[in-house]
Amino acid sequence: MNQIIGFLLVPFLTALVQALLNGHPRAERAIGLVSTVALAVWSFVVLAQVDANGIQVSMMGGHAAPYGISLVADRLSCIMLCLSTSVGAVALAYSLSTVTPAQEKYFFHPLFQIALLGVNWSFLTGDLFNLFVAYEVMLIGSYGVMMVGASREQVRQTLMYVAVNLVGGTLFVAGLALVYATTGTLNMADLARYTAGLEGERAAVVTTASMVLMLVFALKSAVFPVFFWLPDSYPVVPAGVNGFFAGLMTKVGVYSLLRVFVMTFRQDGNEVVTQTLLILSGFTMILGVLGAVCQWDIRRILSWHVISQVGYMVMGVGLTANPALARMATAGTVFYIVHHIIVKSSLFLLGDLAEHVTGRRGLKQMGGTLVLAPIVAAMFFVSAVSLAGMPPFSGFLSKLLLVRAGLAGENWIIVAIAIATGFLTITSMMKIWSYAFWGSPQEAPGPRSIAGMVAPASVLVAATIVLGVWAEPMLRLADATAVDLIEPRAYIQAVLGEAASLPGVAP
Amino acid sequence: VELPLAIVIGMLFAGGTYCLLRPNLVRMVIGFGLLSNGVNLMMIAAGGYSIASGAPFVKDAAETAGLMDPLPPDIVLTAIVINFAVGALFLSICYVVYRDHDTDDPEKLPPAGFEGNG
Repeated sequence: MNQIIGFLLVPFLTALVQALLNGHPRAERAIGLVSTVALAVWSFVVLAQVDANGIQVSMMGGHAAPYGISLVADRLSCIMLCLSTSVGAVALAYSLSTVTPAQEKYFFHPLFQIALLGVNWSFLTGDLFNLFVAYEVMLIGSYGVMMVGASREQVRQTLMYVAVNLVGGTLFVAGLALVYATTGTLNMADLARYTAGLEGERAAVVTTASMVLMLVFALKSAVFPVFFWLPDSYPVVPAGVNGFFAGLMTKVGVYSLLRVFVMTFRQDGNEVVTQTLLILSGFTMILGVLGAVCQWDIRRILSWHVISQVGYMVMGVGLTANPALARMATAGTVFYIVHHIIVKSSLFLLGDLAEHVTGRRGLKQMGGTLVLAPIVAAMFFVSAVSLAGMPPFSGFLSKLLLVRAGLAGENWIIVAIAIATGFLTITSMMKIWSYAFWGSPQEAPGPRSIAGMVAPASVLVAATIVLGVWAEPMLRLADATAVDLIEPRAYIQAVLGEAASLPGVAP
Repeated sequence: VELPLAIVIGMLFAGGTYCLLRPNLVRMVIGFGLLSNGVNLMMIAAGGYSIASGAPFVKDAAETAGLMDPLPPDIVLTAIVINFAVGALFLSICYVVYRDHDTDDPEKLPPAGFEGNG
């Protein structure tokens, strides 16, 4: 089955064509929008196929795994692809209203497609080194999008973002070297097969090597203590695309944690890694939300919220340390990732809309969005309440699943932190609400058409409502995904062939 | 792993880390270069390289004994290309920052965020 490579080829070819068409912004826009929307539709088709018929694998260059590079579309990959392509399409549609001609001239559209390519690639790859390459492609695209137009502030923040990610990339290769030296393979299916049932000294060495990778993924997903780069970086990303960044980029790190530490590394002692993650997630949640409470800029508040929300997802990964909870916690994490990507992107878009409507930036100067654009206020309210975890929206269910898993494992402290973080989230959302939405407008802004921006954002708001009130299909899918990850028999057989020995059986 | 290789990797890591932590943009680029080379050598070492091991070129499959694993050099080749590209990008960003702010000390750059914050 070679159709899954389309998720890499389509953004790549789109970027090339757009780069050639530079100077014809209309054509670039049309091509970008058509290809991204088509990809989004296709991703749902593939998800349905994979859900019904099983995993699809594509071996690059025809070399057999574990020596060649395999692209694997299982349930988790497909869910993530659906999110990346559809949120990408929404963010792109939104940014068409805000992007400046100068930014378009400096290759905004191709760079966005490259970032999308990298994100899709990290979700599809079945090989750890290939994951590194996908990360770098995604990062190079994101450096470009972040700097496009090259204002002083943008370049200054990008410098730090690049420096942090360079160190992260270097550590990634170092971790891969250690894993390769101890296991002799970097293919995820092969690693899962090899590490299952591994015990004693050898298992301890593998665990130590995998800890380096944990640090890299933690850096990418902005987990305490390596989250410092995020709140300075995301506010300078052009409006619209920052929704895509906030929603997807850190979640690539969370996805990697889930894929690598729940599915791939199965040796005796892997729970040391997940327990470390559980402890770090507590700090991440509480420090992230405290950071948000003391900010005075919508974008910075929302950026700090990304950190605290990542804490919830990492908590789900951490709870898998207890085998009895693994299924519940993994399903909860998958559901939370889906919820978070949708809601976080929509909040970034709506926060930008509020700045756009009031014509100001900075909470103390804003005010009166409720009067000027009630529809924006209503949509922001729904998203903010969903983020904080109120029923009937998706945030309530996703938090419920994780808290239930935490309670079942009697992890009282982490559950207490998770609930306290929910309340503090409301506090900081109240701050945005009372400063930016209540109050009277500072001066009458000129009439602006915001329909082109409201429409994309409303898709995401509708998604969080649907996901909250009609959650059954997604819950079933999340549960099936969790079973796939915990018992990756099908994954290993799909990649290595039917004859491959099963996990639990010593190789 | 041969001892000289281990010493070289250690020195590259130490030098790279030291340079990265200097408050100087050009040193950061140099530090990144050293660090990435250290990591590349580490990858070679992971493939079981020793002075005695031969290059992995074989005519028939029976002759593979005593050769080094061909996959790590492959990986290193990819990593070199990526690090070269990203290093060049990093250097050009450093130059633009220097041009914009007239300093090569990252600690002297204006604080992050915009004036409405705080």
